Amino acid sequence: MAKARILVVEDDDKQRQLYCEELTAAGYATLEARSAQEAEELLSHEQIDLIVLDINMPGISGLELLPRIHEIHPGMPVIIHTAYGSYRDDFISWLADMFIVKSPDAGGLLEAVEELLNRKRGVTLGQ
Amino acid sequence: MRTESALAQTLAMVLAGGVGERLYPLTKAKAKPAVPFGGIYRIIDFTLSNCLHSGVRRIFVLTQHKSLPLDRHLWQGWSFLFRTELGEFLVTVPPQQRLVREWYRGTADAVFQNIDLLSHERPRFVLILAGDHVYRMDYRTLLQFHLAKNAAVTIACTTVPVHDASRFGVMEVDADDRIVGFEEKPPHPKPLPDNPNVALISMGIYLFNTETLVRAVIQDAKRRDSHHDFGKNVIPALVAQGERVFAFNIRKWLPPSFHYWQDIGTLDSYYEAHMELLHPDPPFALHDEFGAIRTYLPPLPPALLRSHAAVRQSFLSPGCVVEDGAVVENCLLSPGVRIGKEAVVRHCILLPRVFVGRGAHLERVIADEEVNLPDGEQIGIDLERDLRRFTVTEKGVVIVPTGFVF
Repeated sequence: MAKARILVVEDDDKQRQLYCEELTAAGYATLEARSAQEAEELLSHEQIDLIVLDINMPGISGLELLPRIHEIHPGMPVIIHTAYGSYRDDFISWLADMFIVKSPDAGGLLEAVEELLNRKRGVTLGQ
Repeated sequence: MRTESALAQTLAMVLAGGVGERLYPLTKAKAKPAVPFGGIYRIIDFTLSNCLHSGVRRIFVLTQHKSLPLDRHLWQGWSFLFRTELGEFLVTVPPQQRLVREWYRGTADAVFQNIDLLSHERPRFVLILAGDHVYRMDYRTLLQFHLAKNAAVTIACTTVPVHDASRFGVMEVDADDRIVGFEEKPPHPKPLPDNPNVALISMGIYLFNTETLVRAVIQDAKRRDSHHDFGKNVIPALVAQGERVFAFNIRKWLPPSFHYWQDIGTLDSYYEAHMELLHPDPPFALHDEFGAIRTYLPPLPPALLRSHAAVRQSFLSPGCVVEDGAVVENCLLSPGVRIGKEAVVRHCILLPRVFVGRGAHLERVIADEEVNLPDGEQIGIDLERDLRRFTVTEKGVVIVPTGFVF
C-alpha cells in the first residue's frame, strides 16, 4: 500500500521539522507548509490524505484556512494541533476531526493520525 | 434548570432567505417574510411577535434574496425594541461567505455558514424559526418541554389529515414523544398510532442544544450528497444516530388558541389564510391574551368611509378611503388603499397603496403594492381574459403585480 501523505501546516520551523521526522519515522510521507497560503497552494495540486494544522500563524490563521480546506476537499481529515486549547471555543474549529493541544514531544499526534486514517479507510471500504 | 434562566440562554435564528418562488409575483421585489399579510402586517411579524412575547430577545434574522424591503421593515418596526444595554438584539445577517464562498444552499447551510455568530454569543439553546409562518407560540412552553425531556433537539409539530401530510416532514414517535422515524414528504405518510386519520408533521421550528446543532450542521456540510436542509437531511441523520430528538405536538401541549399554524407556501394558501381571518369565528385571532402582533405602521390618518360607501366583513387599515357608492365585501384593505366611487370589490386582498378606479369591479383579486386599477376595470369576472394578463391560481384567484401597466 502507498504511504499516506500528510500535510503539516506549521509556521514554527523546529516544530514542523519535529512533527515531520516523527511522521516519517512512523512510515508516512510528509509535505510541509509554513503558512496557510503555502498549504492552499499545495492542496490545489498535491494528493493529500490528512492535514495537521496549526492555528496561530502569521497572515491567514489555521481557523481561516479550515473552511477553505473543507470547501476544496470536503471530508479531508484534519487534526488541529495548537498550543491554545481555548480555540476549541470557536465553533469553526469543530470543522476539524480532532483537536490536540501541543505537547513538547508531539505526543498524541501519531495516534491521532493513525486513528483518523483508519476511520477514513473504514469509510472508503464501507462504500 | 429553570425556564427563565434557560430562556436567557436562548438565541433565535430566523430563516428569512428563501426565494419564495411559489408566492411569485408577490415576491418579485421582496423576500417572502416581507410580503404584507393581514392588512397591516408583514409575514415575519408573527414569528418576531412570538419571540417578543416569549422573552426571546437575542435574534438573528438570516436574510438573502431581495432583502432590502425586509431590512427596512425590521429597522422601522423591530430593531429598536431590543436593548443593546441589556444584551438584547435583533440583527439582520446577509450571507457573509466567511465559511463558504456561496449563498445559502439550504436551511442547515444557512446556520452552518453562521456558526461563528454562535461562537460569539455562546447561547445554550438555539431556536431555529421560519420567517414565513403565521402562528402564535409561546416558546417558553417549548423550552420547558425540551428541558423536561432532556432533549438534544425538540421539533414543534402539529397534526394534519393523513391525505394532506405528503407535503410535510412526517414523524413517528414513541409513547414518550421521542421521534423514532422522520420522513420528508413521504408518498404514504404514517398515521399516529392512536388516530389513523392524522399524521404528525414538522412545523419547521426547532429547538436545539447549541452543541448538537453545531455538530449536526458541520457534519451535514461535509456531505456532498446533502441538500443541506434540516427536514430532509439533518433531522433524519440525528434520529438515525440515536440522538434525543423529541416532538412537541402543539395540539397536545398548547391550548386551542395556539393551534393555528400556516406555512404561507403558495398564493392559494396566502389567499385562504386571509379569508380565514375574515371568518366570523376565525381560527386565528389577531388579538388575544398572548399579546398583539407587532408591526411597523406609517403615520397615516384613520380610515375614511364616505357617506354612501358600503363596507361589510372587511379589514380597513389606516389611510384607506372608500368613496361614495363603493361596495367592499369580505376584503382586506392595507394601509393607504383607495376605492373609487361606485367600485365593487369582493373577496379581495388589496396591498398597501392600491388604487381602485371609479366603477371598477374586482372579485377574488390580490393586488400587489401600489397597483393602480383604472376606472371601469374588471378583474376576476372573466378568468379567460385574466389568464392572458395575470397570474391566476389553481383556485381562481387573480394576482395583479406591482408595476402592471393597464
